[in-house]
Amino acid sequence: MKYAIVGFGTAGYHALKAIRTQDPKGEIDVYTNTSMPPYNPMLTTYYAVGKLEYEGMFPFGSLESIQKEFPFELHQEEAIKVHSEEHSVETANGQKEYDRILIATGARAFAPPVKGLKPENAYLMRTVEDAQRLKERLQQGDVKNAIVVGASMVGIKVVEVLQKQGINTWLLDLAPYIFPLAAYPQVAQVIQERVEQQGVHLKFSVTIDHMEEEDGQQIAVLTDGSRIPTDIVGLCIGTRTNTQVVDEKIALGKGIIVDQHMQTNVPGIYAAGDCCEGNNLENGQTQLIGLWANANRQGTTAGNNMAGQEMVYEGNILHNITRFMEMDFIGFGDNRIEGEVLEYGTLGKGMYIRLVLKDHRIAGANILDNCSISGIVKNYMLRLFGGDTGKLPVYQRAALESAGLSSAFLDELEGKIHGCH
Amino acid sequence: MKRYVIDLDMSKCVSCGACTVACMDQNDFVVQDGRRPRRNIFDMEQLEDGKVCFHHLSLGCMHCTDAPCIVGCPSACLSKDPETGMTIYDTTNCIGCHSCAMACPYGVPAFGADGKMTKCDGCYLRIQHGMLPACVKACPFGALQLVDLDDPQQAIPAQHSLRQSSLELLKAQV
Repeated sequence: MKYAIVGFGTAGYHALKAIRTQDPKGEIDVYTNTSMPPYNPMLTTYYAVGKLEYEGMFPFGSLESIQKEFPFELHQEEAIKVHSEEHSVETANGQKEYDRILIATGARAFAPPVKGLKPENAYLMRTVEDAQRLKERLQQGDVKNAIVVGASMVGIKVVEVLQKQGINTWLLDLAPYIFPLAAYPQVAQVIQERVEQQGVHLKFSVTIDHMEEEDGQQIAVLTDGSRIPTDIVGLCIGTRTNTQVVDEKIALGKGIIVDQHMQTNVPGIYAAGDCCEGNNLENGQTQLIGLWANANRQGTTAGNNMAGQEMVYEGNILHNITRFMEMDFIGFGDNRIEGEVLEYGTLGKGMYIRLVLKDHRIAGANILDNCSISGIVKNYMLRLFGGDTGKLPVYQRAALESAGLSSAFLDELEGKIHGCH
Repeated sequence: MKRYVIDLDMSKCVSCGACTVACMDQNDFVVQDGRRPRRNIFDMEQLEDGKVCFHHLSLGCMHCTDAPCIVGCPSACLSKDPETGMTIYDTTNCIGCHSCAMACPYGVPAFGADGKMTKCDGCYLRIQHGMLPACVKACPFGALQLVDLDDPQQAIPAQHSLRQSSLELLKAQV
């Protein structure tokens, strides 16, 4: 069997591991446009702030050590096209045919151009190079003021890096509040208050209109007309899937659409990780769910199926955990769905959980200041989405109660979900 | 590779706490540090179908075969010990992001004052040297047991086994 893995992030790595385990003799070609081993984009800010060594960004070690453990042929060249009819991968050096192809090209940071923003003052945060650039700039010591555009999970981590360096930092977003894709407005409000208390300036429903220069100082002119002096601009607006490599026969939404075997609509061609749209268990639609664990599961599933095993990955729900500025924010599910609200704790004073219940399920959850209940809450949500009607087993209840949730709250929750008291 | 887990026979536990104390002793836990021990006991009273039910539990890492914490850790700090199959960790690169906590359906991972994760490692070094995990050794009722998953003779009946009764629930975790 001949396999191609196009893109070598964590999804590609997990597929390689699965294929090599199932098929010790198969020929595996890995195409990557970097000279680096798989890295985790989530770790870049930790390197930039000095919490991780450079090597710490590469969880699976060096390319050599990976190659030793799971032998493969490394092609350090850009894959230009995956031709679905010919089952081939095209590079500048020609075209090669394969029995199975995995597209694991990931996603890239996306930022629309800002008029007047000098490239040397614009910073993205996704790649190892992005982290190195920011780290080097901060070491120069010439940054006194900074703006971060995008109140996302990445945006807040960049803000945290800047704020820790004593830089006067602004965080802007066109959305009306922080973490607009995960937080409920009430929870966002408390997070914002805390972030401001730590000295970060926040502004919502605005973005940078253009940049000007005044006496050698860069000035950001915002869409509401206000003017903020800034030395650098962090652009954490969002990501786009890297799907340039697929031809017109492969079904595309915002990403490459895959089934539960991680196969595209073209037999023998698979996709996994941040470039693909897998199943969202909450609504049964395909959706981009850019998560480390999701990419790992998808890569493993793709690899096993490519090597002739039968493996299904049923999907995932939107979820996020972000620890920043001494707080934990956890968001599960679709925060746009409205329903009956059930809360525990006082928002902003210790553990708080807000659940939105709909159709006997937990449509969404926000947790503040308590990570230890998060895994069990997620498990309960997933089981309910999967059609399970069982209550919380005693050992989960015990762990939740020991973490601080009251027995009365859990009774109320189960009563509402299962329709009895 | 052996595939060991520490399982609980829920019909035998009386929440005496010997396991927790043994675990704290083995792992040099200082109570004043404020850390949560790696194994905890629970004594619950619950109204079920109009009747009061009593539950006694000792909970620690279940050392899941396909452990969601290993998949979820962004820094690959968690892994399986090749000799015992226990879920172990090296937190050199732990960033304290709590992704492991979000992945665990048992609420096991805890965090020390340094922000790094800590959890039960199955006493894998003791097992490698022919000893039982400290909690198993200390349990006076044989409720906690070191189980070899590949042994066809399972010592704990399925209906009393914490591990076996939670397998279905684990399937949902992603």
